[in-house]
Parts: sequence; C-alpha cells; structure tokens
Amino acid sequence: MSTWIRVARYQLTGRATYAGLWVGPALIFLLNLALAVTGVGARQGAGSFLIIISFNSLVTGALSITRQLPFALALGVSRRSFYAGTALLAGAIAAVYGLGVTVLELIERATGGWGLNLHYFRVPHLLAGPWFLSWLTSFAGLALLLAWGMWFGIIYRRWNLRGLLAFIAAQALALLAVVVIIRWVHGWHGAGHFFTTLTTGGLIGLLAALAVAMLAGGYATIRRVTV
Amino acid sequence: MTPAISVAGVTRRYRGQLALDQVTLDLEPGSITGLLGRNGAGKTTFLRIVAGHEFASAGTVAVLGASPAGNQAVLRRMIFIREGQAYPDFRVRQVVRAASWFYPNWSHELAGALLDEFGLPLDRKVGNLSRGMRSAVGIVIGLAARAEVTLFDEPYAGLDAVSRQLFYDRLLADYAGHPRTVLLSTHLIDEAAGLFERVVVLHRGRVVLNTAADDLRGAATSVSGPAIAVAEFTAGRPVWDSRRIASQESAVVAAALDETDRARAAALHLHLEPLTLQQLVVRAAGTAAASPPEQTTAQRTSA
Repeated sequence: MSTWIRVARYQLTGRATYAGLWVGPALIFLLNLALAVTGVGARQGAGSFLIIISFNSLVTGALSITRQLPFALALGVSRRSFYAGTALLAGAIAAVYGLGVTVLELIERATGGWGLNLHYFRVPHLLAGPWFLSWLTSFAGLALLLAWGMWFGIIYRRWNLRGLLAFIAAQALALLAVVVIIRWVHGWHGAGHFFTTLTTGGLIGLLAALAVAMLAGGYATIRRVTV
Repeated sequence: MTPAISVAGVTRRYRGQLALDQVTLDLEPGSITGLLGRNGAGKTTFLRIVAGHEFASAGTVAVLGASPAGNQAVLRRMIFIREGQAYPDFRVRQVVRAASWFYPNWSHELAGALLDEFGLPLDRKVGNLSRGMRSAVGIVIGLAARAEVTLFDEPYAGLDAVSRQLFYDRLLADYAGHPRTVLLSTHLIDEAAGLFERVVVLHRGRVVLNTAADDLRGAATSVSGPAIAVAEFTAGRPVWDSRRIASQESAVVAAALDETDRARAAALHLHLEPLTLQQLVVRAAGTAAASPPEQTTAQRTSA
C-alpha cells in the first residue's frame, strides 16, 4: 500500500471532517422542506445550497491540513506524500459527493421538486443539464473548493493568522486588479460575453483549471511548512 | 559503518536568535543516546531538524545515510514523539491503528500490552485525555513502531513515576530484542541515566559534551571529610569544586579513582561518592556558560 493511500486512509479515520461537509446542506434542505410543507418559505433554495456547500468544502479542505498534518509528520510521512494523499482523497470525495449532488438533483427533477415544487439541488445554469455534465460540474467545483481550502490550511500552518489574512488580502487584491484591468481596457462587454456564452463544458474546464492552480499553489507552499 | 544520525555544522537562527550553533554529531546505529541540556539549549530544535520537521539555516543532516527533509524513504524509517504532540480528533484506538499503517515493523502485540499497562481508555478521544495519558499514547506509538530511528522529546510530560518506570523498562526490554537508534531528550536525567549508552549535552545551541555514558560513570567523585584529610587526598589531582564548613570539606575530584585511591580514602576517614549524571551535566552546562563559546566544545568533550 503506497504512502498516498495510507494518508488517505488516515484522513478518513476520523470521518467527522468529511462527513461534516454534508451536515449543513442537509439541515438547510430539511429546513427548506419544512418551510415548503407549511407553505411559509420560498421554493428556491439553490442559493443557500451553493453558499453552504462552498463554505463547508473550504472549511473541510482547511481542516484536512491543519488538524491532520502534525501527527502525520510525527509518523514519518513527508509533506509531499501527505499533500498528495490528501489531494487524492479530496478528488475522490469530490467525485463521490458530486455524484450524490447529481442523484439528488435528478430525484428533485423527477419528483417535481420533492412533490412540493422545491428547487434546492437544481442550480440554474450550473446543475441543470444532463446528469453527466451535472456530475462533472459538481466534481470540478467541489475539487476546486477543497483544494482552495487545503491551500488556506497550509498557509495557516506555515504563517499562522497573519499569513492567512495576508493570503486573503492578496486574493482580494488580485480580483481587484482584474476588475481594474477590465475597466481600463473597456473590456466589460467582452467579459460579460465570455461568461454568458460559457458552455457547461467550458465551465467545467475553467473550474478544473482553477482547481489545478490551487493544488499547485498548495504543493509549492507545503514544502517548507513546519509543525 | 554509516552513522544512524550524522549532523555537520548545523546552525538554526530564528530572527537573530541562535537556537543551534555549528552542531556536529554522529550517532552510531543501535544505541540509546540521552540528549540533555537546560531549557532553551536547543534540544527540541535539534530533534525537529533531524526529524525533518524543521529546516537548518546552515549545515547538513543525514539520517540512515540520506537527508531526511522531504525524503519519504528515510522518514518512513523514523518516528518522532514529542512533548505536547498534537493529535487529530481521533480516539485512542484510532490513533494507534492509524500509526500502525505507517511502520512495517509495527508490533500489535507490544502496542496492546502497553495500552493495557498504561491503562489507556481505547474509546476515549485523545484530546479528552489528561496530559499524562496523552504522553502515554505517544510512548505506546513510539515503542510499538519499532522504527530504526526513534526520537523522543520529553515523551513523559505529566506521567507519574510508576508509568515513567514502565516506559524505561519496556524501552530497554524491547530494545534488547529489536535494537534501534534511540535519541531521548529529557530533564529527568538521573531517572533515565541507566538507559543511556551515550550522552550528548547541548548548551546555548552548542554541543558541550558528547561521550559514552560509561566514560562518565565514575569520571568525577565527591570527596568529603576532615579538611586536612581532603587536602591531603586531593593534592596533585584535578579538583572542580570544593566547599568548606568549619573543619569539614567537600571537594569534587575530576579523575577516576582506583582501588589504591579508595583504600587511602578509607584510611583517611573520607567519604567517596561518584557524581551522578545529572551533576555532571549541570557541571558541563555551567562550565560552558562561564567559558568563551569557542572553547567549550573541546574543553567539555575532553572532560
């Protein structure tokens, strides 16, 4: 058994970290369901689903590093092996959970919104096409968020809270720079055109490319982490 | 023979503070070495660098013939159990099981016996255990792993005397059957003295003593009795320290005594008592503190 697989198994030992990813979305879904049954709530829960699953994925990715890394290093696991095993598991989790989201979306569609016209898992323009595209989109999106969270966790382990805040500020500045450049070259029309004409396949590619970039960033950062 | 641990000119600086200063050290495979020194001497930094958890500012480190930093082939043959080890949110049973996956020589039998002997509750979260019990978890893992290079940094913080003795006994018993290189950092010097085959003392980031433990035993003796007799006995011998109260005097002779010396001491009604390892370490660190840094290593190594 390779060290990567051992690390993935080690990560799954606690289970709570990865199982916790579903707790928030499940609770909000039940709440939406209850509100829909009583006729009090709105019938569109996709926004809350996206927000909570994104937040949970980020936190799960970060915890997979901050909680597990020190003891793994004590057990003679190299940083690279730890990162590779954790990334491997994140990919598998994204694939399986993405499939779960797809199945729930299909059930939701087939039952007319759980018999209550409630749309929680069906996200317009993102998770609304053929099942395999929904799956690939969920997979790429979850993988991106988990990898991003892992990078946050590594930054925190290496430079503590100060580094984490600097990392967040750097990302905000990068986003601001993109906005300024688009404005400078009067490129709003082109940017709008890009996003409105982006196909599902293009979106999956974009998410996957960003996930790879996050993984590369995390890999470069973890090499000098000390515990 | 390739040293199990070979460190050459290792220096570690933290923002202007020197934690390790040109440390050079070779440890042969199959030995138990005590890494001793005062708080802040650099023991933990040294162990962290050897384990690949920390990076040296200068110098080279080789474990089992290769650099440990990022080297999975070397790291899988090592284990590093430290005081206040951070554990994941696992139960005792899960922590021990997870550790067993990473070590080819892992002994389930030894782990089970140690878990019983330390009375560790298998289904309790490690984070909810007392400090001493968390230390015991580290000891179980550190011993059952049977890693070729085993590093312990104050592994028994919070452990009671009975449990500490259990650790010493089990370490020695398992080491006899499965020799490995053990480097143990501790402040409980006299308690652990019987384990050590070699002693390394760090002081302010420098090696001030590096010698076989057998060479230290009997290397210095406290001589006490009537001041006139003590003066007669110590004449011509190297004396580290002497204290006089009224007509009684106590002096430390820094030389091995033979049977003739002992017979003469008895005739002079003098009381002889070998210095303990702890007293020798205190002496080594104290002398190093009072000496110019460039002289300490050579002086103490030859002491």
